[in-house]
Amino acid sequence: MYKLILAFRYLYKRRASYFAAAAVALCVFIVVVVMTVMTGLVGEFKKKNYNFTGDCVVGTESLVGFPYYEDFEKILRGVDFVEAVSPVINSYAFVSAGDSQQGVGLEIIGIDPNLHGRATGFGEMIYYHQNDTSHVFEPAGDKNLPGCVVAIDLWAQRDSQGEYFYDPTPEATPISITCFPLTARGALAKAGTGLVNTKTFYFSDSFQSGLARVDGSVVFLPFDEAQLLCGMKEPISRVSRLHIKFKPGINLEDGCLKVGKLWEQFSDKNQGKPDGILLADVKVQSWKQNRREFIAAMEKEQVMLTAMFVLVGLTTVFIIFVVFYMIVSHKTKDIGILKSVGASGVDVVTLFLGFSAMLGVAGSAVGVAAGLLFLRNINTIEKLLFEKFGFQLWDRTLYAIGDIPSRLDLTMVAIVVCCAVLACLAGAILPSVRAAGERPVETLQVSQL
Amino acid sequence: MLKLFLWLRYLGKRRVVLLSIAAVALSCALLIVVASIFNGFINAFEQAAVDSIGDVVIAPPMKFPDYQELTDQIEKISVVEAAAPTLMSQGLLHLGRGKVRAVEVWGIDIQKQGKVTAFEKSLLKGEKTQDARPQTQDHPIESYVGIGVLEEPNDKTDEYDFESAKASIGQELVLTTGSIVEGKDSERQFKRQTIRLVISDVSFTGVYYLDKQVVYLPIERLREAVYPDSKQPMAGQIHIKLRKGADEEATMVQIVRAWKKFASEKLGWSDFQINQTRIETARQMQARYVAEFNKQKWILLLIFGVVSLSAVLLVFCIFYMIVETKRRDIAILKSCGSGGGAIATIFVGFGGCVGLTGAAIGTLLGCYITKNINLVEELIRVIFGLKLWKASVYMFSRIPNEVAWGWVLIFVLLSVIAASLGALLPAIFAATTKPVNILRYE
Repeated sequence: MYKLILAFRYLYKRRASYFAAAAVALCVFIVVVVMTVMTGLVGEFKKKNYNFTGDCVVGTESLVGFPYYEDFEKILRGVDFVEAVSPVINSYAFVSAGDSQQGVGLEIIGIDPNLHGRATGFGEMIYYHQNDTSHVFEPAGDKNLPGCVVAIDLWAQRDSQGEYFYDPTPEATPISITCFPLTARGALAKAGTGLVNTKTFYFSDSFQSGLARVDGSVVFLPFDEAQLLCGMKEPISRVSRLHIKFKPGINLEDGCLKVGKLWEQFSDKNQGKPDGILLADVKVQSWKQNRREFIAAMEKEQVMLTAMFVLVGLTTVFIIFVVFYMIVSHKTKDIGILKSVGASGVDVVTLFLGFSAMLGVAGSAVGVAAGLLFLRNINTIEKLLFEKFGFQLWDRTLYAIGDIPSRLDLTMVAIVVCCAVLACLAGAILPSVRAAGERPVETLQVSQL
Repeated sequence: MLKLFLWLRYLGKRRVVLLSIAAVALSCALLIVVASIFNGFINAFEQAAVDSIGDVVIAPPMKFPDYQELTDQIEKISVVEAAAPTLMSQGLLHLGRGKVRAVEVWGIDIQKQGKVTAFEKSLLKGEKTQDARPQTQDHPIESYVGIGVLEEPNDKTDEYDFESAKASIGQELVLTTGSIVEGKDSERQFKRQTIRLVISDVSFTGVYYLDKQVVYLPIERLREAVYPDSKQPMAGQIHIKLRKGADEEATMVQIVRAWKKFASEKLGWSDFQINQTRIETARQMQARYVAEFNKQKWILLLIFGVVSLSAVLLVFCIFYMIVETKRRDIAILKSCGSGGGAIATIFVGFGGCVGLTGAAIGTLLGCYITKNINLVEELIRVIFGLKLWKASVYMFSRIPNEVAWGWVLIFVLLSVIAASLGALLPAIFAATTKPVNILRYE
């Protein structure tokens, strides 16, 4: 009990401990704010990638695609853990809109909107037909015209707040799509004729995934049209990918593993068939693996930032060390008295370590509270700074980021607080051991008094 | 002299002071590394633009013929070193069975491009020829292909296999490109052209986008392929290299004048068409992005700067402790006639010394890490298997490792000021110490 009383007393009475607590609070505040924003950004980015991809992808990076997908689709529809499967055509095309004089090379994705809406978050990403995927390829005005869905950055401008200007009555603008059909061997299907597969589609909707690379370079086409344009319809139908959504409650890794096994069997069985060699290049990936290249970059930045904070946080350990060294130097007589009435060295160490833990908790509490307050108002502060000084944390016309993430991640906060307390304990350990080594016979000598 | 003696004595005897030096050094080193890498990245970003498109770019809204006359006019401007035409298109490159890539095709004047950009330096073999032969079945067009078009960098090291890339020199490729042309009944239609290419050399610029996306062809060969009906030379952009020390603003005025004259007199363009032409320096074209990078740098420096404030607290605590334990020394000094100001100067000066020593160590450490940042990154990869820097994410193959000396100076000064500030309160406390209270017998 006396340890607790003394620890509290030192915390209140020794002004030096206020500085230590202030240093802890400062570090905790900064780390909580920065990591909350960073974690929020990474989390949002992952969610957007998931919405774009679905749970699992069976596909190849080659523009040639792979055959016999319908058979594998049937197998997948027959198993109990798969909720939806969407075959997808992926290629590149020259796209020319309206009266534009020049074509631009863009990625085209051919989908069945209903299937794709079930397998991914496609339905939430379209604007005019949100959650009504069945009509997404129907242009306004004449629903019989072939429609296409254009990624938002190719179609609309963003304002300074990152909001797009949507035309309330979109015109069915003609968009000429020209594809280079490839044979199953990867050769040009119509080499020598000088003509390509070209078809005019009409703008029917815009698509916003929140992923910069996607929103600036993709046009969605109806599956059959895309398959024809890319030369993947005949003689054996091919696709680039199958997007799969698992039933609720199915673990991602388990689901992917099961799909992987099914694919292995299917691939072995069909490789001997015409063009079956293309099946060898097909990979089964979870959405995380499929989008790894993009997600990993952000995660690494988070790791780097954490490492830098650990380095800077060393200063806090030094401060605790100095403060405790100072307190122990001043409290040699108290220690002498404690030991003379029976307290052991371990008791003294426990006393000071307890004190340091208290200091860590107090500092962390202040830091977390300040961080919470700041995060609650971070978007208001940014808005104010933008109105008064034109300052934005991110230029919303350049970055596909909306509000600054401000939702506190309790696990992250708990980790930060634990690290702060551990840093305090680490800083206090040497002075505590020194205190434990004090001998009452020396500290309580008359000459010392 | 007495102050210097005391500073050295405290430095030698009070080992706890080393902690404040370490804290200052750590903060200083971290800030130097962050600022240097950001500055290096921004410089590399701007330089990459200059290396790939020259100092100034004339980008009209549509392609135009007879560019030779314009480039001759521009080259007459005294500060212009060279002007090169470029014709840009897009296409699909067939690299072999099932290997197809979407690429950007740059038609360039091979000789002139070398004068305007760093194209020549980027070639692995380093030999360039101006292919003047028409494309025939026997003579595919000589092309220069970005290394990333041919192969992916190693997944773990993010490095290209240069030998394998060199081995592909001489390999034949098929490029499919085209343009929108007026067809029968003035209907616009896309016309595909298939061109046979042979790889003359492989280009490695270290800029991900260029290495991954671009195939270079002789401009005339590309024009023949994309605009077969046009009999005149044709360009989409003019890239201009200025001489060193050229006044960009004044030169831009001359270039704009030359363009307007050419466009109105030679091309017969309307004022509207002429005004739609973008004439910018490479740096102006990157300005928005550079501003954003700079903002991110400032935010990161602010965050680490605030965290580094704890070093001031540390100096304060240490000096407070020193003053507490040295009250008798202070009292003796004062009883010998030293004034409060002199006593305060000892501690503030000592704080400054701590800051300077910490900053010096931090600068050495920061500069060493910055200079060897690629080695550090490689060590992290080898030890932890974590590849932090990838060209596909950060544009460049190598982490920029130039020390930002301007920032180093700022951080050294701030370190000295911060350490002195940390020592200020304890110094005032020491200055107000009364010898009569301290030196009493009881």
